[in-house]
Order: sequence, then structure tokens, then C-alpha cells
Amino acid sequence: MTTSAVRVDAVRKVYGSGPSAMVALDDARLTIEPGKFVSLIGPSGCGKSTLLRLVAGLEPADRGDVRVHGVTPAQACAAKLIGLVPQTPALLPWLTVLQNVSLAARVNPGAGRRRAAIDDLEERGTGAGPDMRELLRMAGLGEAMDKLPAQLSGGMQQRAAIVRAFGLRPDVLLMDEPFSALDEFTRESLQDQLLDLWDELRTTVLFVTHSVSEAVRMSDTVVVMAPRPGRIVDVIDIDLPRPRNQRLFEEQRFHEYEDLVRTRLHSAWRTADAA
Amino acid sequence: MSATTTSTPAATVTTADAERRTARRSVPGWLRPTVWLPLVVMLAVLAVLWQIGATAMPYLLPPLPAVGETLATQLPYYLQNAGITLAESLVGLAIGFLAAFVLAVLTSELPIVRRAVMPIAIVLNVTPLVAIAPALVVAFGFGPLPKLVITALICFFPILINTAAGLRSVPQPVLQVYRTIDASRFEMLVHLRIPNALPFVFAALRIVFPLSIIGAVVAELSASGSTGGLGTVISTASSMNQLAVVYAAIAILAVMGVVLLGLITLVERRVLHWHRTAND
Repeated sequence: MTTSAVRVDAVRKVYGSGPSAMVALDDARLTIEPGKFVSLIGPSGCGKSTLLRLVAGLEPADRGDVRVHGVTPAQACAAKLIGLVPQTPALLPWLTVLQNVSLAARVNPGAGRRRAAIDDLEERGTGAGPDMRELLRMAGLGEAMDKLPAQLSGGMQQRAAIVRAFGLRPDVLLMDEPFSALDEFTRESLQDQLLDLWDELRTTVLFVTHSVSEAVRMSDTVVVMAPRPGRIVDVIDIDLPRPRNQRLFEEQRFHEYEDLVRTRLHSAWRTADAA
Repeated sequence: MSATTTSTPAATVTTADAERRTARRSVPGWLRPTVWLPLVVMLAVLAVLWQIGATAMPYLLPPLPAVGETLATQLPYYLQNAGITLAESLVGLAIGFLAAFVLAVLTSELPIVRRAVMPIAIVLNVTPLVAIAPALVVAFGFGPLPKLVITALICFFPILINTAAGLRSVPQPVLQVYRTIDASRFEMLVHLRIPNALPFVFAALRIVFPLSIIGAVVAELSASGSTGGLGTVISTASSMNQLAVVYAAIAILAVMGVVLLGLITLVERRVLHWHRTAND
């Protein structure tokens, strides 16, 4: 039995104190097996981004336990197990796309040694890591790799940010609403490319979104969350064949899953309002 | 037939139009009369007003030809003193820059240093340096040292404040990406914070290059009888009522400031090409 990629156990997170305190996350439990694509969905204030930041080690939990491949988030960061794609591309404007992608792979050179000391991780093999040029070409950025971020469209910048995360060969990829700032067409083509990259490189993905169809389309599992207090209300496995291309939208089962997720979101919303 | 005769002149007009347009585009912008003419007219008006003033009050304003004459006949003398002032301001600026940059890095990395240093730096900034200059001359004598100290002090604060702001203004999402791969503080400083601070540093340099000349001249003025420089030229000449010499030295100082500002702008364009692209 291998260790879970992500294990969140009875986690609670409160912002502020006294009467103005906000329970961002209460008694959250979640287990993600390696190689799965899991989406967190819910209205704003449901704690989905908080949960992601806890797993990323950017904030400590007030109570409960977060593990990434059996170690704490801090240890996971030190061993570079985690790749983060934030909402904005967060590229460095003075570096070209290729330099941006390579820099992240180059910092913290001691991570490989620390990763080797962690049990149950898939052998990464030695060597210099993935070929960044090849990855950029796969993401359709072959022409753009020597350009500065400001010379690219928003969609291309976000693709570069995704390649930067994949280029780390992370064991867990954390994505915080990465496509929310993009227009509909760009978003769909980026979803396609993300699924292609993921098919190729198979890593665990924890994906925060507020789009039901995005969640159903991308994920093996959709985690439905609700606000006040932020909590997990349902975990729905999406049993649809892969690869999930454009033809998926014509399938009846896809829409049934969408309806199911929507129903769960609404009932959670109603209970929260009643409380 | 009539159709061709009407269409031919029309075609000629458009070609001529296009030619005129390309001709206009190939001329650099500043060569166009609409750009330089207002300035030239303004300068001419000012010169005429100056001459009227100089004729009415010969003890307050020297005639412009007299200023031109002393510049032309004694150019080596002015250039030599300009060199002294320029050297003082540039060396002082370099010292101030190094000190401020190192301190900015320390304050951004260590909150203790920030709390200890920033209040003092702010008090130093609001204290008029012209008032400190005589005291520094008493302390450091009439040599180059007080001039360097004053110039360094006057340059120090803008560089410290701007650089510290630039080091701290790396966007949160960028910091989060690099925190999740556990980049060390040194890696963050070298790869994120310092490059991010460069536009701020250049903004400070644009302020500080003219300031450094002010610092050097103020120091020279307070240390009368010191080893030269345009400030000394001005104080000596004004005590002997040589108004033309005073204004000649002032003119050279102005030219020096403009040249330095132009140089720093050129360097900025080269180093910060990415910043311009990002802001276009």
C-alpha cells in the first residue's frame, strides 16, 4: 500500500479572532491517491483556496494534520514535491519564457537529495530533468520561448506558468483557479492542453475552480465545498472515459454529472443559509 | 476617355501625399519645427528680457555677451573646476549609493535593522543638508572629504527608500510560487527581489544625479578657500563682483546636470528594456 499523495485530516483554519473571526475551514477531511486529478469546487468563502494554501505549506493549519506523500507540507516544499500554479501567471517580467521556466527548476538544488530520503515516492530517475524546450513546444509555446511575458497574451502567459510547474516534475500539482481570468475560448483550449500534459506526465493534481463543467470535465474526483463555515460536503467520483476531448460535451453522462454537482452545491448553499 | 483624365490627377495627388507622409516620418521628431520652434522662441524672448534687465541693472545681471566671452576665453579654467566638482559629485554619489543599497537589502531582509535604521534615515532626510554642511567642514577640513560626505548624504536617502520599496514589492503570487519550491532567502534576493527593485533604483538615480551636483556645490560654497570646483569659483567671483564669471559657472553646472541626466536615461533604457515593454 503506497502513501496517499495528499491527506487532510480534521483540519480547521480560522482567520481573525473574537466576534470577527471567520472559520475558513472546519473539520476538513480529504484523501487523494497518487496520479488522480481532483477538483475543489464551491462558492467563494467555502475555503477551497485556503485548503490549497494549507497543502502548499503557505499557511499552517490551526488544528488537524496535512500530509503530502506522508511528510509535512514544509518538508514537501523543501524536497520540491509541490508545483503551484496561482490565479495570475506570476512570471518574472525581466526573464524570457524559457528563462522563467528554467529558473524555478534551478532554485533549491538540494531538493533531489531530500526527495530521495522520502519513502514510497516513484523513482524519478536521474538526469537533468525534463527538457524545458520540449515541454514549452508541447504547450504550444515553441515560438514564444525567447519572448518576454509582456509580449504574450494572457492565455500564453498562463500556459507558461503551467509549464513552469510541470517542469518541476512535481509529485503534487496545485492549481488555484488558473483559468478564471481567461476568456471562454482560451480557457477551453488551455483545459485541453492541461489534460494533454497531464496524460503525458501523470502527476497528482489538486485543482481549485468555480466552474462546474470545468471540474467535471477535468477531474477523476470532484470535491464539493460549502461556506460558513468552510467545509467539504460531498466527494463525487467522475466515471467518464479518458482522454476527455471535445466530444465529451455531447455525452449524456457528462451533463448528468454536471447536474449532480450543481444539485449538491445548491443543497449545501441552502443548508448554509438556513443555519 | 474622360474617365482616365479625371483619374490620373487624383492618383498623382495620392502619391504625392504618400511621399510627403513618408518624408515626414523619416525626419526625427525633434527636427520638426512644431517641436523645436516654441522652445527657440521662448529662449529668444528670455534672452531679450535678460539683456533689457542687464542694461537697466548692470550690478545685478551681467550682459550675455560678457558671459559668453569669459566662457570662451577661459574655457580651460572652467573645465578644470567643473572636473573637480564632477569628480566630487560622482564619487560622493557612488559612496552614497553603495551604503544605501547595502542598507536597503539589510532592512528588507532583517526587520530589526529596518526598525533601527529607518527612523534615523527619515530624520536625516528632513534635516536641511545646507545647514549641516558648515559643521561638516569644521569636522573634516577644507579637503575633498566634507564634499564627499555631504554629496553621499544627500544621495543616500532617495536611494535607500526607493530600493527598499522595490525589494519589498515582489507580487505575492510570485513569492508563493517560489516559497512552495523552498527557494532560499538568498535565491529570492538575487532572482526576485533585486531585479524587481531595479526600476525603483533607476527612478532614484534620476533624482539623485542632479542632487549629487547640488551636494558638491553646497559643500564647496561652505568651505570657501578650498581646493577649487565650480562652487568655489562662484563664491570667489561673487565676492569680487565678477558677475559674468558667476553666471558662466552656473551655466556650466546646468549643462553638467543635463548631461548626467541624459546618461542615466540612456543606461536605464538599456538595462530596463523589459520594464518599458511591460509598461507599453
